[in-house]
Amino acid sequence: MNNVFFKKALTLASLLVLLLCGIGGAAAQDTVTLTWWTTSGRDSPEPAIRNVIAAFEAEHPNIKVDVSIMAEGAYNDLMSTAIAAGEGVPDLAWYWSNNWLPQALDITDRLDNDPDISRDIFHTEYFNNWVVWNDMVIALPYDIGANFVMYNKDVFDDEGVPYPTQDWTPEDYIEIAKALRNEDKRRWGGDRPRGPFRALWRNMGATNPYSDDSTTVEGYINGPESVAAYTWLWDLVNSGATPTPADLEVLGTEGTGPVDLFIAGRLGMATLNPGSMVSTLEAGVNFGVVPEPRVPGNENWVHGWALRAGIWKDSEHPDEAWEFLKFWNGPPGQRILMEQGLGHFPPIPSLLAEYEHADTEWYQGFLTVLDATQTASWRKDHPCWRGAVIRGVRDAWDLIMLGEIERDEVQATLDAMVEPGQAALDECVPRLGG
Amino acid sequence: MRIDPARLSASEQLRRSARQRRARKLVGHAIIYAVMIALACVFMLPIFWMASTSLKLPRELMAWPPEWIPSNPQWGNYAEAFGKYPLARYMLNSAFLVAANIVGALLSVPVIAYGFARFNFPFKNVLFILMLSMMMVPGHIKLIPLYVLYLRLGLIDTYWPLILPAYFGSPFFIFLMTQFMRTIPRELDDAARIDGAGPWGILYRIIIPLCRPALTVVVVFTFLWTWNDFLEPIIFLRDYDSFPISVGLAFFQGRYSIEWHLFMGATLVSIIPILVVYFFAQRHLIGGLAAIGIKG
Repeated sequence: MNNVFFKKALTLASLLVLLLCGIGGAAAQDTVTLTWWTTSGRDSPEPAIRNVIAAFEAEHPNIKVDVSIMAEGAYNDLMSTAIAAGEGVPDLAWYWSNNWLPQALDITDRLDNDPDISRDIFHTEYFNNWVVWNDMVIALPYDIGANFVMYNKDVFDDEGVPYPTQDWTPEDYIEIAKALRNEDKRRWGGDRPRGPFRALWRNMGATNPYSDDSTTVEGYINGPESVAAYTWLWDLVNSGATPTPADLEVLGTEGTGPVDLFIAGRLGMATLNPGSMVSTLEAGVNFGVVPEPRVPGNENWVHGWALRAGIWKDSEHPDEAWEFLKFWNGPPGQRILMEQGLGHFPPIPSLLAEYEHADTEWYQGFLTVLDATQTASWRKDHPCWRGAVIRGVRDAWDLIMLGEIERDEVQATLDAMVEPGQAALDECVPRLGG
Repeated sequence: MRIDPARLSASEQLRRSARQRRARKLVGHAIIYAVMIALACVFMLPIFWMASTSLKLPRELMAWPPEWIPSNPQWGNYAEAFGKYPLARYMLNSAFLVAANIVGALLSVPVIAYGFARFNFPFKNVLFILMLSMMMVPGHIKLIPLYVLYLRLGLIDTYWPLILPAYFGSPFFIFLMTQFMRTIPRELDDAARIDGAGPWGILYRIIIPLCRPALTVVVVFTFLWTWNDFLEPIIFLRDYDSFPISVGLAFFQGRYSIEWHLFMGATLVSIIPILVVYFFAQRHLIGGLAAIGIKG
């Protein structure tokens, strides 16, 4: 009797232990930890990042997010190293380098079949140009940006110059820059465009560096529209109203435009970006925003961009990663980031309308800029744009910037760029496609 | 008693000559000091500008004319910089890494160098050349293999990848120390050996005390390199609170702008330990560098 009782008790205890182990094991298996690398800055302060994660984890108790917050300057090296190593890449990361795109998971089906989110909520231009790659959606857009001209209203008032308007022309730009130039105050009227690949070329000349079918640069690089754009650049450089490349090398903020000069009132106008708006706002400077000037009748183009957050193609938890991605890049996460990080501009138009300074003139000017056609829309279908332009036209650009050629030499200089430009295009198209 | 006028004149001439020599020496010293002070001012200028910038408002950073001494110093910039990111924590992390690396270097480098300097063993020269060749390999090339290695060892996001290499000896320091030890007469080893000292006794009682100048160089350079190291911490560390100060400073450079006034304040504070170490170690350091025969 006792023996039977003992056996039953033992069996029951064993079952109980197995059951408990099973429950424990199941609970441990159910909790997934995602790794997520991000950067911290004005657009996403560290507390805001943690708040988004806390909000997500509250909604998804079985998913934990192990976030690594790193410096902007550190991210590229780390991500490049991990991708080159082929392991140790996090489940979720920024894919802002084109070289990393093949490592991102194709999320087209997830996006199109998920009732919680839709591509329609995103700004069309930013979505199509920045997260669609090889007809796949490989990320969701994040903080969006664009280049536009910021003008310092105090400087304009000081010199008695009327503010620029939305439809101003390249000639207006030069005339205003000259009117704002003030030697005594070491003030320049405006800055110079920082590269031939930006929107300026399109706005000034309504042209591309080569034909739409990617076969020839002849008549494009050196066509009348291109000559007009470069002659305008020559006039601007020789107006004496802009800082030289050497001035900007010393006084400009690396890679982001001369925002510090602008804030100090030593630059009446500058081609800057949304982050500059926030810096300027915090510095208490009275400013306005207008699109880059364009030739009357030309379509308005803008050099815009969006960051891309994506899932690693070899992630072991793609489903959970998708849940976080759509939360982070969707309205819930973007709202938290926008409200807690003044420099964050979501790619979701409905949220942009809720921005803290939405009723200001400068912010409305910024929204207007966002609606212009992006240079990326042509560049995306013409991957040799940069190769051809930089190689083929950069010399002409530099010669003008350095004051090495006369105005009547612009045509001949561009003609001389046809051969190297064509060679670059011919080399590039078979490699990257037209 | 009469004094010969000719002798008086000669002694007066000698005195005059001595006075002139003293005056010339004085002028010479004055010129040298003036030049050195001027050079010191030039070298101090960036640090002074850094301090000045750290006390400005953003709109004053590029103002013309520049304000060398801000009329309204913003001392709150320092509090803002240290409040925005855990910089004090980052400095402590750096101090820990420095200490751990110095201990590692002091434990490993003399022992390895002693082997190369005092013992003969098979393939000694080949090993020495192999070790030297490691100095020629750029650090970036080793980064990916090291990343994979530490990842598979489960050491990513720990301080081990930043500390462990020091305990296996740096080729540069081993080379320095080997060359230095070779200049120490072997007769001292023999004398110690007669007195009953073994190899370890000779190393710790004879060689290492005589290597103090070279060890100072090892300590100071390890301090500087570890304190300033940026690349390896960003590759091997993940936790926001674990970064060293070199990485912490990079947070002030955002995607679109640099918060110069905060960045300068934080940088100024971060270089204080380096200045303090250099201040106290400079005599030994210069002596050590001269003894080893390397120039900065």
